[in-house]
Amino acid sequence: MIQGIFYARFFPKEGPKIVAQSPPGCITSVDSATSGGNASSNLRAPLVDFDVLHEYIIPRQAFCNRYVTINCPEGKYSILGYPVLIPHTKYMRNEFIFNFGLLVEADVDQAAYEPVVRRLAATFSEMEKQNEYLSQSEGRPVESDGRGGYESRRPIESLLEIVKEDLNNYGECMIPVDEANTINMKLFPPHPNPPPVKGWHVPVSKTKFSDIVDPTWDLTLQKVISHIDGVSDVRRIAHAAHVSLDLAKTALRHLLYYDTILLLDMFFFGACYAPRPGIHDFIKNIDGMIDECAEYVSHGGRRLSNFHFVRLMTSFVPGRTVIEWLWAHQEAGLEVLRYIDVRRFVQFGLIKGLLYRVHKYVVSKQYLAALVSGQSHPVEHGDPIQKYTDGCHHFDQIITEQDLTDDEIVEKLKALRVSRGDLAIFYR
Amino acid sequence: MSSVNSDNFLAVALVINRSRDGPAFVFHYPEQVQPTSSAIEQPDPNELEDILLERLSQPADRDGVAGTDSDDLPPRYWKHDEHIMTESGSQIVPWEHVAGFPARDLASILTPARAYHKTQFQLSLDPLYCVSYPVHVPENGKWKKAKKVDKDAGSSKAGNERTAPQESESAPSKTEEAPKDKDGKNAKDESDEEKRSSMTMFNLVFILQPRKHDVKGLVDTLYSNIVKKANKAYMYSQQHSDFVWKESKRILAAKEKAREEQKKMSALWKEILHSSSLAASMHDIYEAVSQNRIAALHLDTAAGLLTPSFQIPIPFYVPDIPQDTDQDQRGLWLTSANAFLSQDALEEPGFLDRNFALLLMDDEKKIISELQADPDMTTVSMVEFVRLSKPTMSFYQVAQSNVLTLNQVREYAQHFIFWRRAIAIPPLHARDVYIVSPNCDPRRLPQDSIEWQRLFPVAPPLPNFLSELSQSPRPYKHFSPSKAHRPSFLLMLAWLMRRGWVTQLCTFAYVVVWPEIIYEVDYEMEAEELAAAREKAASEAAEHEDSSHHQHRHSKDQVPTTPLSAEPVSEASSPTTATDSQPPTTAEHAAEMARLERIAAKAHHEATEKAIAHGRKFVPIATAHPSLNDALHLKGITPHIILDAKKATGLESRYLSAISARFKDEKLKGAWQTFCRYFDGRSALERIALQEDMKRKEAWNQLTAMTEYLLCTRHW
Repeated sequence: MIQGIFYARFFPKEGPKIVAQSPPGCITSVDSATSGGNASSNLRAPLVDFDVLHEYIIPRQAFCNRYVTINCPEGKYSILGYPVLIPHTKYMRNEFIFNFGLLVEADVDQAAYEPVVRRLAATFSEMEKQNEYLSQSEGRPVESDGRGGYESRRPIESLLEIVKEDLNNYGECMIPVDEANTINMKLFPPHPNPPPVKGWHVPVSKTKFSDIVDPTWDLTLQKVISHIDGVSDVRRIAHAAHVSLDLAKTALRHLLYYDTILLLDMFFFGACYAPRPGIHDFIKNIDGMIDECAEYVSHGGRRLSNFHFVRLMTSFVPGRTVIEWLWAHQEAGLEVLRYIDVRRFVQFGLIKGLLYRVHKYVVSKQYLAALVSGQSHPVEHGDPIQKYTDGCHHFDQIITEQDLTDDEIVEKLKALRVSRGDLAIFYR
Repeated sequence: MSSVNSDNFLAVALVINRSRDGPAFVFHYPEQVQPTSSAIEQPDPNELEDILLERLSQPADRDGVAGTDSDDLPPRYWKHDEHIMTESGSQIVPWEHVAGFPARDLASILTPARAYHKTQFQLSLDPLYCVSYPVHVPENGKWKKAKKVDKDAGSSKAGNERTAPQESESAPSKTEEAPKDKDGKNAKDESDEEKRSSMTMFNLVFILQPRKHDVKGLVDTLYSNIVKKANKAYMYSQQHSDFVWKESKRILAAKEKAREEQKKMSALWKEILHSSSLAASMHDIYEAVSQNRIAALHLDTAAGLLTPSFQIPIPFYVPDIPQDTDQDQRGLWLTSANAFLSQDALEEPGFLDRNFALLLMDDEKKIISELQADPDMTTVSMVEFVRLSKPTMSFYQVAQSNVLTLNQVREYAQHFIFWRRAIAIPPLHARDVYIVSPNCDPRRLPQDSIEWQRLFPVAPPLPNFLSELSQSPRPYKHFSPSKAHRPSFLLMLAWLMRRGWVTQLCTFAYVVVWPEIIYEVDYEMEAEELAAAREKAASEAAEHEDSSHHQHRHSKDQVPTTPLSAEPVSEASSPTTATDSQPPTTAEHAAEMARLERIAAKAHHEATEKAIAHGRKFVPIATAHPSLNDALHLKGITPHIILDAKKATGLESRYLSAISARFKDEKLKGAWQTFCRYFDGRSALERIALQEDMKRKEAWNQLTAMTEYLLCTRHW
């Protein structure tokens, strides 16, 4: 929430001053003579001490024309501003300095407001350069008489008020300032950059794309979206959508940025999954998680009891593949496949942070030694598989990048020209 | 927590204000501060929709601004080391431009008003971000505190120490309080009284360049751990020996002289760092903090050597697998041992002592020699502690040796942990299961393989050993070829743990109540209920002769649990007899009585039905394996999970005792009672033996005997 918005100027004689502010009295107290009729309501003390802060609102030249923020000493508010200095001989002292700033609570995320402050500065400095929009009023208080002292001009104070109100209430504003200029602004929630998308990731949509996609969307994005099914990996999607792998990755990363998809990895019955501490939330059925799971994984027939779901989820363990897990339950008398979709069950566990995938890696000691000594290519024209043998690349990566199956990789590894017992496979 | 590095932490700068001469930029380190424009995150492309904005967001715009005195601006190709004479005859001094700003302007904007005294000062000058904790001279204009206030100064220093985690007297800043401090001071105090320092404030500013989404995290981390403490340490030195002002004067004088001599900046900086312990301490702060080490300062003040130290505590574990993006946390020990500690456990005396052991992060011999290199009163016992502490022994067990007290053990352990020489882990045990940590950092594999080979020349190579550990989880002892190898295998395990290669696979349990038990308890309770009702009915029948009115009301109240007996017929007649004895006063009364009668009869009928139903029910039979009992009468009952057996009440506690009754062995029965408190999904079963002071094997055997009633899940 914007707590206050102001327009400050440097006056050659009086020094820095707040010319307009909204709400009135938020930065400097407004005395009744200039504030118009409703003086009595404005007698509240300012939220900050302008005497302390003016040196950051109208700073020295060196700090002008950049985004400047300062916290107030009480630590309650921050002032976000962009002091602008326009050098020109027509001005007294050959320069015109002003700042349109915001007052926000110190603990809110300020990143969303930075573009707003920059935009205000840009618009008004351009308008000043065009037709001296700001300096016209030089020497005269802008609000001298509330009833449109200036011909067709909206007083800055009311302009600021609209900006503040609209941004606070609607997150955007569109305000015509004069015939030529309009202030269009929107608050965008800042998102951090998402991690890169890899070929072996499996995107799962979190939103119903069919409802929101329209023909104006990027064509690649549309193609990629139509192939997101929660099963296909990125490589497959790119292939099926006739899109280059890199473009597909970029498109997916875009979706990831807006939190509309999440990334899992490929599901194999031969892969291994194991519990994470989050599994206890499932056991305790926090937020009806088990029912959500049942909804997601049950296919026809009878719904398993909550106890069964808990039993199934908790019985994953490192070193036991999904197939082995299925057998174990079958032996105990539960035909898991008859009741649930195992892939979706595992996926549910992964999405909710109940399970993690135990990946498979291969290490060649020879290759490790080569890495240490600095020759990363110990074998001339080394096999393409060799670069994966440093223990940093899981089999999923080899599968997607080399287009091989697990078994084929093992065969290739056996064919590598390394000494006996050089290779070790480990899981983590 | 945001990690601090030299990309987002650009420099430290000391700025002062003087009563007569105004603000001065005293010193900054490192000497070259160049905000990297590549690191300036460009706003989102969609924000740059017009040229106007683009122009404003670009640093190039600054040229236009400073157009008025572009003469004084350094040329672009300048390497920032030599002095430059401009055509107009002015001299450009390399150290008078810091991070793209004139130093005198920075000095002015970084000396905030008294309102900021000892509070957070946070100023962003795109792209820089300045954070500090300005310190002003007290209102009376004297830095030196009078004798009585001496305590106050001490306490602020103590506060300084307190904020360091797990600090104790023996910990780092114990040398900070130079004993001569007090003695030498009093005498000098009087004479110096007159010479009032003309420094009105100082401000050690931390210049950052955080990434946009990371501002708050970085500023908070740095401010609370470093900025505040560093400024407080300087304040202490200033109050006690006018240190900051004296050093500042020297540095400023050296700079002035160098300006005249046109000395190269690099030469001047070398000289200042060498001659001023204040400047050197800024160097130490920057170098240590930007590399996330412990900053240990040496302030050579007139009142003695001050050695404050501070750090951004590094996490030594993660409770869950971090996101792919969190590369910083790769390789950290993965454990829920800390995150799962409940408040109850923490409040339980001795819990931590029994559940944790010390794992040295470095070679034992190396640590001992470090200790001996800097001997003091505690050195001997600390060395003893290092020798005694094994990662296989809990603190409690170490204290059992009777060489050190438990308090000493705790205190020393905290000391080593603070100094990042050790971490606390659940004691290692050969019977426990260790797996390759999903959070291990395989990028370390090449280096660590070599180190492993060096330390354990006869062991299998690291990749092979990890491979074995990761195949299927087994107790660690199975990997050791013989019992004689056990100790060296435990050393290997400690090393793997230290390097984050492995983590313990723990077992967490809940109690499962099988349908057989549920049925049994339900049946029992129903029988009890019926018996109680019967008893009541019997006593009521006796009463009933006295006051039939009362009886009526009573039996109405009792409807749901109405008695029941072997002869329902005679029972059924009782209400009738009651009405008989009723004196028929009015018609209404009669009607009312009839209504009551009908209700009673109905209730009675229901009760009878219930009793009959109960009688027809299958009498519970205890089978040897309740979990496998699929008898017809148990159909439709789903097993129940008790989420916290320790806090079970009512029905759940009856289930627990019903299960307890199933254990034939008395010892096992007792163990069930004791162990129940660990069946809450938070306590690793592997640690019960430690907590209960039992033999590992015995505890495990008993747990094994209970497995039928436990739902277990295994993770770190």
